[in-house]
Parts: sequence; C-alpha cells; structure tokens
Amino acid sequence: MEYEESRISAHHNYLVNRVLTPGFVVGKPNEDKGFFLLADLVLPGESTPRICARLLDAQGVLLLELEWNRIRENPGMCTHRPVPGGFVIVLPSEEALMEVRTESFANGYITRIKARLFDETGQVRSETLGESLQVRGEAKLVLDSPFVFSRK
Amino acid sequence: MNMVVAIKQVPDVPNIRIDRERMTVIREGVESIINPLDYVALEAALDLRNRHGGKVVALTMGPLQSEEALREALAAGADEGILLTDPAFAGADTLATSHVLARAISRTTPFPDLILCGMQTIDSDTGHVGPQIAEELDVPQVCGVSEIHVDEECLVVKRVSDGSLDSVRVTMPVVLTVTQHICEVRNLPLGALEAAFSEKSIVQWSMDQLGLEESEVGLSGSATQVWRLRPPPPRREGRVFDASPQELVDHLIRKLEGLSVLDEEEEDQ
Amino acid sequence: MRKRKTNKFGGVWVFGDYRNYFQNRVTLQLIAKATDLARDLKTEAAVVVLGQDIHQYVMEYVAHGADIIIAAQHPQLKDYEVETYTAVLDRWVKAFEPEIFLAGATSFGREFFPRLAKRLHTGLSADCLALEVDPDTGLLVQTTPAFGGELLAEVVTPHHRPQMATVHPGVFQERAHNSEALGRIIYPEIGPLPVPRMKTIRSRRQQSHKLNLENARVVIAGGRGLGTKDEFQMLYEIAELLEGEVGATRPAVAEGWAEEDRLLGQTGKSVKPTLLISVGTSGALQYTTGIQGAETIIAINRDPHAPIFRMADLGLVGDVHTLLPLLLDVLRRRL
Repeated sequence: MEYEESRISAHHNYLVNRVLTPGFVVGKPNEDKGFFLLADLVLPGESTPRICARLLDAQGVLLLELEWNRIRENPGMCTHRPVPGGFVIVLPSEEALMEVRTESFANGYITRIKARLFDETGQVRSETLGESLQVRGEAKLVLDSPFVFSRK
Repeated sequence: MNMVVAIKQVPDVPNIRIDRERMTVIREGVESIINPLDYVALEAALDLRNRHGGKVVALTMGPLQSEEALREALAAGADEGILLTDPAFAGADTLATSHVLARAISRTTPFPDLILCGMQTIDSDTGHVGPQIAEELDVPQVCGVSEIHVDEECLVVKRVSDGSLDSVRVTMPVVLTVTQHICEVRNLPLGALEAAFSEKSIVQWSMDQLGLEESEVGLSGSATQVWRLRPPPPRREGRVFDASPQELVDHLIRKLEGLSVLDEEEEDQ
Repeated sequence: MRKRKTNKFGGVWVFGDYRNYFQNRVTLQLIAKATDLARDLKTEAAVVVLGQDIHQYVMEYVAHGADIIIAAQHPQLKDYEVETYTAVLDRWVKAFEPEIFLAGATSFGREFFPRLAKRLHTGLSADCLALEVDPDTGLLVQTTPAFGGELLAEVVTPHHRPQMATVHPGVFQERAHNSEALGRIIYPEIGPLPVPRMKTIRSRRQQSHKLNLENARVVIAGGRGLGTKDEFQMLYEIAELLEGEVGATRPAVAEGWAEEDRLLGQTGKSVKPTLLISVGTSGALQYTTGIQGAETIIAINRDPHAPIFRMADLGLVGDVHTLLPLLLDVLRRRL
C-alpha cells in the first residue's frame, strides 16, 4: 500500500497538499529574485503564522515581497487587509491574491493559505484545493526547524 | 418475523464463592440461571412475535446441563430450542463461541430476520459475542438497544451510545444486543415449565453435525488463553470500628477533618 | 512529505476515539500506556484516526505522546459506523501488521473492536485492568477480571496478531500536554468502502447535568445495602455538602436508584478521588476495581465480614439507616 508521510507539530500546522505540516517552502527563497513562498514554523508561545514571499504575476513580473506577514516591496500596488483569523493581500483590481487564516483550537492552531501563485517562467506553483493549498515544483514540504535565510 | 435468541447459562454470580487456595470457583450449591439480559432479549423477541407473527428459536452453546436454560425459554414461549453441545466446545473464547453459534444460526431454516442477545453476561461481561456473530454472518449489528420498531423492510431501534440517545434505521437480517430497558420481564405462567418438559422437544447439535473441525472450536479454536489466575490486588485493611452509631459518626467526622474535607474556604486551583 | 510503500511495521496502535473529546480522555490514557509498551518492544506508538474534521484531534494526540498518527479524512468516515471502520482498519492492519491494537471501552469501542477482531481472526480481551509485556515471551499480558470479578485472569494471545484489548477510562493515566511535541503522520488509502446498512437518523445528547465523576475530589458511592431509593437519595445531599459526586454499584443501578452514568467498577467508571465513602456496598471486585485508585476509602456496612472492609482505610460496622441521618445532621450543622 502506498501512503503519504509528513510530520506534524502539536502546536501549529499548515494545510498543504491535503496534509498537515509544521512548515514549508516553495521556490527559491535564497535567491535575489524569482518566486518563493515560505511558511515558517510557529513555536509554542506564538499564535500567528510566519509568512515570507516574493509573489509574481502570470507574466513573471514582481507584484510584492512579504516579510514576516508584512508587505516590504510593493510594485504591484497591493493592499494588506486584516480579516478574522489572519490577513488578505488584495490586488488593485480588488481580487484576492493571497489569503492567510488561522483557526485556533483548545490547544493548537491550523493555518490555511489560499493563493494562486506563479513563478518567473509563468508556471502555476500553487492553487487552492478545498481547504488545502496545493503546491507544485521545487519545494521542501516539511521544515524540521525554523528557516534560516542564507542570503541578505 | 423469524428470530433467533442466543442465550447463555451462567452461574448465579452474586452468590459465587472462590477457593482462594486452589484459585478455582466453588460451583457446588451455586445455581445456574439464564443470563438475565438474554432472558430480557427473549421476552423482547416474544413480544415482537406476538405483534408481527413469526417464530422464536432459543439457541445455546454449553454442556448438557444447559438444556435447563432452553426448557425455561420454551416455557416462556419460545417455539423451538437448539442445544449446541460437544466436549470439544469447552474452553472457548468469544472467537470460537461466536463461530459455533454463527454456524448453527446459518443452519436454522429459515434464516432469521433478527438475532437477539443480551448486551453482556454477568459472568464474563465482554459483550463481544453479538458483534462477532454479526461479522461471521455478514449482517449489520446495533448494540445497546432499548426499543425496537418494525418499519417495512427495516427496523428502527433506539439505543444510548457514548452519551447520545440515537434512533437507528437498519436493514434485516441484523444482530441486536439489548439492555434491560427494552421490556418488562413477565413471570412464567403456572405449569408452563412442566409443559415445556413434556411437550416441546429440543434439538441437539454436536460439532460433527455442525460440520466443524476440532481446530475451529473450544480451546483449539480460541485465540486467547488464560495463562494464570491470581488473587485481586492487595487491600488496605485499615481500622474497623464496631461501636454505637454516635461513636461511629464521630470517627467518620474526625477522619474527614484529618483530610481537610470539612474546611470552609478552600483555595481554588 | 514522501510517498512510501508499506513493509511490516509492528508497532503498538491505539484507536483514536475522539467522540466527546474533552470529556472522554481514554484515548489519551491509552497513548501513555502504548508508549510504555512500545518502549518495551522497541517499536513505536501509533494512533489511528478516521473522520472528516480530524486535524485538532491529530495534533492533540501528538501533544500527548503519539509517535505516529495514521489518519484518513473522508466524508464517508464522518459518522462512527461500525462496518465502515471495520473495512478500513482491516485493510490497514493487514498492510502494517501492528503487534498490539488497543481501544477505549467506550460504547463504540465495545461494539466495533470485537467485530474488527473477528474480521482479523484474532484475540480480544475486554475491560483490561493492566497491560504488560512479558519479558520472557514478549507477549502482551492482559489482566482482566474473572469469575464475575472475584479473581484476576492473565490472558495472552500467543499465536494470533494483533493482540487486541479494550480498556476502561481511568485505568491508565494520560501524559501532560506538550506543545513542543513533533510526530510523524501518514495518510494511507482507505480503499473501497462498504455501503452502510445502518444509519443514525436522530441523535440527542443525553446528559442534562454535567456529571464529572472522573475528576471529582470526593465521591460518595452507594450499593444495595441502602435498601431503598429514598435512602440512596440521601447520598446526593451528603455529596453536595462535601462538594463531591455520587457513584453507584451495578445492583444499585439495576434497582433504578441511579443512572448508568454513575456506575463505578469494571464495566463503569474508574475514579481516583482524594476521598471515597462507600455506603452499603459489599465490595465485589467488579465494583472495587473502579474505586481502588482512591486515596482514602471509608466504608460503611452492616456486615463486619464484608470484603469492602479489606479495601478501606477506615471501616464502620453499622446500620446505614441509623448512621446516614446522624451523619447528615452533623454535616448540615457544620457546613
């Protein structure tokens, strides 16, 4: 019998490819340009997800950079709006680019991300499927420890 | 509606005594009775037969002495009795017991619409046999039933499960295990027991007649084994006082004081 | 995450029964025991979870000590349906071959586990009071009451696998919640599911008051010796004065003096209060297995030879009909 295997944290997990994971990264976070999405580990004591990203449009043009949930560079003129349980990044057209919501339980949290994201070659790297984010291409789907950027 | 009620003859457990030296049960002088919940299941079956027609067959696996239990079932009103008896059946766990009972049920004609038994026995109390019969006969099961209604080709039953009172619709044939709430138990009419002895006959089936091999029944057909019996855990043996009521209450109050149970304002954790 | 193929895994499995999760802690208690057994067998403890919205339970199980979670999320697994769950777990047990499989003796566990054991053609013991790995044979020794509870039987399943057992809430102790815990999770396929032959068409929560026997600091328990429902009722007032809960023996429940949810003992609840007062109970093992965890036991019985006195820290030989009113009188004045 074949099966999917992942790791989970007792405290906080993201829902990716229909499985729970403590943290994941898609794309190339350590390069100066190009798409990436990092959802980092949330440690006991914290209750908000930790998202860094470089998001591009379907033509591979930079829309914005996110650093720990906040917009850093914003050539695409997007807005960051809080919503119950998280935040939404909205394009000038009012279309939602990425939605991040955290559900809290008695003793833990789960974060669901909704986003249709493209990389520099115009390929779709993530899509929403039900309550889960489906990612494709180069990715580390389970982070064992908090992510350390090796550039900057 | 054709029904089979599986009954078990058990020792009258509250009166059982133990030989602590030899670690065996002292059977002399201890009556054997129909497991109370199986008797209730029988009454429920008879009630359904009176309302919807059909036949009630009482079935038991045990030594020859178990025939008494079937006589009592016939006296209560069961139409037929089947005794499954064979020295090879001894020492069976629920896996082997359910195998023998299921085989017998599959050979009753016609195949029953409803198989009933009590939810648990007063001697081993596992409650496993009903579900295991259902599994072997490939029929559904509902356990802990307190009410049964017939709704065309289905039954609608009530049962309590983990804090909820459920109404369940289930197809027939089906195994139901029942609780004491399912119906009142009547007294046997006068003369019914004697009549049962003289009129109604009981069929006996042995291992061969059921088409079973020794490896499938009794101790050989069991998956679990009792390795060892041991006495219950060590006791405390504190002070016991036999005194006037007032003195006894004083002892009790002093003990409660010692445990700080009577303190007024407790710090809340 | 990775795609894997099964090979024999061994392992100590626990069925994740999360109905009434915050009241029913038995799965957490079994996880604690399973991790001990797994250590003895040099393997891992896994919790099997089926359902539709299982994420929070899966994380709780990891927090309470599970090494591995084996899970499936599917709309058809939403209801606890015996035949559906039997089909999935039959497939998984045959694929992974666990050594041991435990379940809480909840209403569901008590009717599901025997069916699964029969499908797997293996042995199942019920209402275990203790579980240990025998150092010589590596077999799971399952201790259950025997002969109506007067002796303990040590049962083994020598040749069939997995070795299955159900356990009552309160027999084992859960580990504390640990937010820093990490676990593995695997998602095997569930395979084709049977068409259900039964359906719960209506379900109504039963308990109108929040009975909390398992966590009560003080328990007053009554047995057949009380004689009448009115006598039994006095226990409620005593319990209220002492800020405790009332429990009952099987004969008292059978007489209709208390509801089934107050039953203490082998097929009822196990309690571990600071103080337990046992009134009019003879002390049958079927009952005392449920109270032996109490710190202090006080027994009141008319019969000086009643077995309950062997279990009590303080024994009072007397007539409950005289003693209870006296006791109530003193307590009313004091509190």
